[in-house]
Amino acid sequence: MANDHKDAVEKGRSAKRVIFAAGGGLALVALGALVLEAGWVPTWISGRVADTADAESIYFQPPTDAEIPEGKFGDAIKRGRDIFMNTSTNAGDYVGNGLSCSNCHLDGGRQPLSAPMWAAWTRYPMYRKKNDQINTMEDRVMGCFTFSMNAQHSVAGGPPPHGSDIYRDLESYMYWLATGAPVNEKLDGTGFGKVEKTELGYSPERGAEVFTANCAVCHGADGQGQKDANGRIVFPALWGPGSYNWGAGMARIDTAAAFIKNNMPLSQPGKLSDQEAWDVAAFINSHERPRDARQGDASIEETRLRFHDGDQIYYGKELNGVLMGVGTPDPERPIGAPELPIGPTPLE
Amino acid sequence: MSKPRKHDSSKITRPPESYEPWESHNRIPLPVIWIALALGIWGTAMLFEDQTSYTVAQSAREAGEVMAHDAPEGGEALFLANCSTCHQPNGAGVRLAVPPLEGSEFAKAGPEVVARIMLRGIDGPIRVKGFTYDGHMPSFAAALSDSEIAEVAGFVAARFGGNAAELAPGAVAGLRGAAAGKDSWQGGAELATLVADLPPQPAMRAGSEADIDPAISDLIFAGKGDVWACTSCHGGLGQGVENTPRLAGLSGGYLAGQLRDFRDGARYNEHMAFVAKGLSDPEIDGLARYYAGLRVASTAAPSLGGDLARGEEIALHGDWPRGIPACFSCHGPSGFGVAPDFPALAAQQPAYIASQLAAWAGGHRNNSPLGLMDQISAAMSEGDRRAVADYLATLPAVPAVGPDAIAQLEGSDDGQ
Repeated sequence: MANDHKDAVEKGRSAKRVIFAAGGGLALVALGALVLEAGWVPTWISGRVADTADAESIYFQPPTDAEIPEGKFGDAIKRGRDIFMNTSTNAGDYVGNGLSCSNCHLDGGRQPLSAPMWAAWTRYPMYRKKNDQINTMEDRVMGCFTFSMNAQHSVAGGPPPHGSDIYRDLESYMYWLATGAPVNEKLDGTGFGKVEKTELGYSPERGAEVFTANCAVCHGADGQGQKDANGRIVFPALWGPGSYNWGAGMARIDTAAAFIKNNMPLSQPGKLSDQEAWDVAAFINSHERPRDARQGDASIEETRLRFHDGDQIYYGKELNGVLMGVGTPDPERPIGAPELPIGPTPLE
Repeated sequence: MSKPRKHDSSKITRPPESYEPWESHNRIPLPVIWIALALGIWGTAMLFEDQTSYTVAQSAREAGEVMAHDAPEGGEALFLANCSTCHQPNGAGVRLAVPPLEGSEFAKAGPEVVARIMLRGIDGPIRVKGFTYDGHMPSFAAALSDSEIAEVAGFVAARFGGNAAELAPGAVAGLRGAAAGKDSWQGGAELATLVADLPPQPAMRAGSEADIDPAISDLIFAGKGDVWACTSCHGGLGQGVENTPRLAGLSGGYLAGQLRDFRDGARYNEHMAFVAKGLSDPEIDGLARYYAGLRVASTAAPSLGGDLARGEEIALHGDWPRGIPACFSCHGPSGFGVAPDFPALAAQQPAYIASQLAAWAGGHRNNSPLGLMDQISAAMSEGDRRAVADYLATLPAVPAVGPDAIAQLEGSDDGQ
């Protein structure tokens, strides 16, 4: 009897404990849920993004497309934007690969640390070691066409000539993006940023693994990018004939590492460590690409000494016994040249 | 000594027959009061919060409507909304990929030709202004009404072709009737029957109608063992409904990958895990091939009350300050998809898109390469997810539409 009673009391106590524990727990959960739903939890704990408040940015805020003014100037901005976003169509005669400005200058030239146009606009005219002269913005954009867009293989065979409307429209777009930005000041978010050198240096072999794990899903295992059903380039080629040539800034490993570190994988900037960014940049730039547009009749060694000496670039160096910089074969016909009457086409 | 067993009658003193168990009055235990209080506060707060988010959504929608009134009207607005992701706002197209409308032989031929093309889409090589394109254009028959097609066609012919002929909505109704049950235009060669004096057009592509393996056909239409048929949820044409995705026209690589993920547990859905666990690799590939080859008009329509303007903004341009890239920067500039890892988004069922975005954000779907979608979905607000899902539902299905598909859809209960 006494034992039974003790058992019962003991049972009652533990039951009570369970009720208290569960009740307290439930109350805590309910209160926690309340606190979370009410948005009293800092976002770094909850991982949520506020619904209404605009994300704070430490960077300069360029205007949105909806703010493009009416009238002739607005029309020029829109044409500039169309060239910027769809360069190989709207300035197609001067593009020798399938790239667009917006492939590297993300978000229509707005994204900080992807060489945003609002930051570039306010810093020209500028002295550049690259050509040892004062460069106007037109000179600078001409360089983009010459190297990054590989104009040597385009229909025109070179960049748009000075005074072309293409520069007028592009500059209108850039000028407008820089509305309100201080002139002749280096703004935060300028250029691609910088990645500190690492103790290990860089290695294309290590970079190959980083590439497979992080880049191949979009740019393809062969680095040639991917297209949609219509053959429209969605992910640009990173090397080979459809990519930037050896004279482009992106062919330098330090430049590419900075771009990658701060922008790639798309939507996950900073995911790669400094070491991984250096390695994968070295891997990408250890492949052959169209020849340096400035080479002319000079030898690779002469071109290296004149334009690449001291740069972090594989141009003119031997890699695994292969001389880099010889370029990809010139296309039989310029890229985008009108087709011959029904016959072989670029798609066949 | 062993414990007295419960039913050992000899050890238990029975209470008298008249005994009634009773309990004295006790206070309500404190924890119960806590819970009640907490739930009460929580409930009130939620009620309040819902109220405010409805108000916010409502005002956002109204603001969107107001903004829409400022935008260009009629044919130009419809053109910008429906055609410009491919043909570009200036009608220049995309070099070597999307034919230009500006100065195009087909735009010059007038609004009726443009409307006929819009109604059936194009699926074959076409030569425009001296360039050959691998034409894949969706049919807009399901996406736009007669009067909308008349307006767009009139705008395109006038603006880009310099042909100011009029096209009445009633005439489009007639063209729609004539297009019913017909396949997409098989490229420029078939369109040459429609437009006089076209420059020579590339030959039609040889049809590659592959017979479907009877075993795969059984899986799709009849089920196998205790596994139900694909069509019982995804619809007779793989068009999907509500939370069940459209499969028609998704890339084979993507479909096979998802089936394997369901089978191997990398993607979880109770029903699909059950279906996929019995599938062999050849069966998975056969199913993927079948659905990838289906050409079915869109049955999706906005249904989540999302803000379409905001959805379009996210799909086309993203919201970079929040870490949201444009959907189309990876899924293709018109949501056509990029094989094998980026599925087509155009015409996908909005409830499905919203549910998947929510699943990624909440960590319940984990098979996105590099965790790309996990991060992007988490960066989107709940309203953004509904907005983008609803916007994608307004787009026409890619690739173009097959003849049986239209006819079947019109005659079936699955169609809308």
